[in-house]
Amino acid sequence: MKIIKPALAGTLESSDLQVKVAPSPDDTLEVVLSSEVIKQFGQQIRRVVDDTLARLEVKAGLIIIEDKGALDCAIRARVQAAVLRGAACEHIDWEKLS
Amino acid sequence: MSETMEFDTVSPASQPEALAAIRQLLADCQLELDSKIDVFVVVYRQGSLIACAGLSGNIIKCVAIAPQWRGESLSLQLVNEVVQIAAERGHFHLFLYTKPENQRFFTGCGFYTLVEVPGHVVLMENTPVGIQHYCQRLRMLRQPSNKTGCIVMNANPFTLGHRYLAEQAAAACDWLHVFVVREDVSFFPYAQRYELVTQGLGGIPNLTVHHGSEYMISRATFPSYFLKDKGIVDSCHTAIDLLLFRDYIAPALGISHRFIGTEPFCPVTNKYNEDMKQWLQHAHCPAPAIEVVELSRHVRNGQPVSASRVRRLLSRQDFNAIQALVPPSTLQLLLSEYAAEPAPALERYG
Repeated sequence: MKIIKPALAGTLESSDLQVKVAPSPDDTLEVVLSSEVIKQFGQQIRRVVDDTLARLEVKAGLIIIEDKGALDCAIRARVQAAVLRGAACEHIDWEKLS
Repeated sequence: MSETMEFDTVSPASQPEALAAIRQLLADCQLELDSKIDVFVVVYRQGSLIACAGLSGNIIKCVAIAPQWRGESLSLQLVNEVVQIAAERGHFHLFLYTKPENQRFFTGCGFYTLVEVPGHVVLMENTPVGIQHYCQRLRMLRQPSNKTGCIVMNANPFTLGHRYLAEQAAAACDWLHVFVVREDVSFFPYAQRYELVTQGLGGIPNLTVHHGSEYMISRATFPSYFLKDKGIVDSCHTAIDLLLFRDYIAPALGISHRFIGTEPFCPVTNKYNEDMKQWLQHAHCPAPAIEVVELSRHVRNGQPVSASRVRRLLSRQDFNAIQALVPPSTLQLLLSEYAAEPAPALERYG
């Protein structure tokens, strides 16, 4: 999936996260993560994000994440929503989102 | 608590009554109502206004919460709501002005400090990598040079005065970086100004013309520059803009000198030039000082050449007088796009 425009999903409320995606000017994939629980869970959050992006076949883009202590399922859902919005996706392959 | 709070939006142009309440709340918080706000996010409780946050393009301003309702929960929701509304309006990269004491709170809302004028104001952006990415791209355009100069010009439009300044600066440096102010609020649109600068500076071998950015004399970094017809100058704004230049842009390109023309006409530009010496050269700052070089303005027929004079002459369609002040490329554009009767004029002056 190709990110063609900036998009936003999620909130900054406690136990949620805000995901911003934007096209990458040099076609690289960059994930910038900031989290209130980065010391304990930074690696785990990053794994969930990378895995979600890989399943959606996102190969390029700037992904900025402000995490407020969200659970894995919330992280996955917010990343998916932001990417789908930024890719202006009309036909959703639901199996890839499972 | 939050069930009794109602969120809404107020459009200043069409809701004068709601705006009066906002003005009062801001005044209670020692803030002024900004005239350029497109939309306010407001919070009511039992019919009375308790919080507001304004959005002006991609800049968040006029954020206020009545003292008795201050606390993480409401302020966070307020910022959240503004960020969502900005996104609906197509603004994802946001800037925010706040007092230094509120910096920590906004850091928790995904905003990152760009620059602080101690004791006065902080400019933040809602990305941890915004200016870093911009400076990375600038670094790739660095030139091997011992003395590197810079000029930032609006060129509205490009005149022989700009050419003269660039020639002098380029002669005094190994390499010169010229930035064109990108904000599209001047009489001549950005695309035309950029094109005229590129053409007008042709033949000077040791310079690069750069596109301006939001980090340099933009509505975000220097709002009052674009109100200069009103004569409003805010020294906090010049400080923000100049410190961004000194802290980020100049180090990325290795700029050690900034060149400016003396400013006899425009009070805003004149104030900017004066503040430049303070913030780039004298102020204490971790980034190295930048030497400000003021060159006296190019004079033609006993009068200083200025873009504002060209615009005045253009409004009178006095192409004879304009011809003496601008290079052929600018004259040609003025004749083809801004002359009341293009065809005969082209023949006379082409």
